[in-house]
Amino acid sequence: MNQTHIRHRIFVTACLLAGAVPAVQSAEPEDIIKYRQNVMKSQGAHLAAAGAIIQGKVGYKNQLGDHVKALQASTRDIPGLFPKDSDFGETKALDAIWKNNADFQKRAKDTRDKVNALAKAVTVKDSQNYGARFKDVADSCKACHKDYRKEDK
Amino acid sequence: MSITRLRLLYATGLLFAVPLASADPLVSQGEYIYRAAGCHGCHTDAKHGGKPLAGGQALATPFGTFYSPNITPDAETGIGRWSEQDFLRALREGRSPAGDHYYPSFPYPSYTKLNAEDLHALWAYLKAQTPVKQVNRKHDLKWFARPRTFVGSWKGLYFTPGVYKSDALKSTAWNRGAYLAEAAAHCGECHTPRGALGGIKSGMHYAGTREGPDDSVIPNITPDKKTGIGRWRVRELAEYLETGMKPDGDSAGELMAEVIDNGLRYLHKDDLAAIAEYVLSLPPVEHSVRKAGKKPAKKEEFE
Repeated sequence: MNQTHIRHRIFVTACLLAGAVPAVQSAEPEDIIKYRQNVMKSQGAHLAAAGAIIQGKVGYKNQLGDHVKALQASTRDIPGLFPKDSDFGETKALDAIWKNNADFQKRAKDTRDKVNALAKAVTVKDSQNYGARFKDVADSCKACHKDYRKEDK
Repeated sequence: MSITRLRLLYATGLLFAVPLASADPLVSQGEYIYRAAGCHGCHTDAKHGGKPLAGGQALATPFGTFYSPNITPDAETGIGRWSEQDFLRALREGRSPAGDHYYPSFPYPSYTKLNAEDLHALWAYLKAQTPVKQVNRKHDLKWFARPRTFVGSWKGLYFTPGVYKSDALKSTAWNRGAYLAEAAAHCGECHTPRGALGGIKSGMHYAGTREGPDDSVIPNITPDKKTGIGRWRVRELAEYLETGMKPDGDSAGELMAEVIDNGLRYLHKDDLAAIAEYVLSLPPVEHSVRKAGKKPAKKEEFE
């Protein structure tokens, strides 16, 4: 790679960075919605993967901790995925999220607590209770989706 | 009568002094059917903190908004003055004690398929509930749906009374699943699309609709691989009906979460497996309920 190429690369990278910073500060609602949907999808995927291991459908016992840690990380701040202006467009989020925000926050905390309880069981290898803790998480997800998500549009 | 027998009756009397519904096996059986049939969801205004079965829950449809009646045993505002015959006629024929037609928002086209034993038990369960005095709002219907004669003609076209008949060529489990899905859980009342007059569209059994109650999009649950749940296994569907978790980890929301929370999760695992076996054995129907131009790509199964 010659000098010109390297300079060119630095220039392009600098431009991208310069462009990227202000873009984050004024994120488009559509992008926030897409981001939120991707995070939610990843949560579902890790939950289903953890469930398959816990129910003994598959082996992969060594990976159970990884799935649960990913869930812990992504459920730490669910309300943060729902800023005020992300309530229109291609979203199934119901207005009630912002109207009954205190309750919504409570539900999100419940999910976080239930995921932490599952993580704790996995850390101390309390396999007797994996099923029950897992079901608590699934119930918590369902409870919130029941009241705050519109069915597929 | 022996002394022991008398003592036993006395003890039973004491037991019933504290209303313990499940002490009576008939009432327990009735409660099971009550769960399977999803009575609670429509007859309880949960969103506004309504008492169980006291009614008032709104159901928005293309014909207007229906408000469910009070089915607690209150004499003035509920079904406290009904006889068992009145109850049977309501569920089997869709007629009130006075002989009026019920709108099919009350899913009697499904409940007519319930067998006599289950209906008798359900009646026993409802009578054992706490009466609640509550008058509910009248239905708020569009002009063309208002005349009750409209319902009479509707029934002539789309309503076939009669108990579920077993299919001798199918297994016991399959028939049990079919009975639960068709007669009790009335899956098709939401999951089968309706024509302009609100009749079930033939050949579209369980194929989903964009015009579900409360403006919901109701998914296609036929085993079509592209637009239905053809990729689900029987075990996965049974688990979903119990826990609300889909094979991809997504969870049931809105209406279906309510159906699971107040009903299906109380059913025995064998019964849920039977329902799953039945549903996944139906003919697949390719029918997308998503927005036009939005292809059901693989990725969207996860949304």
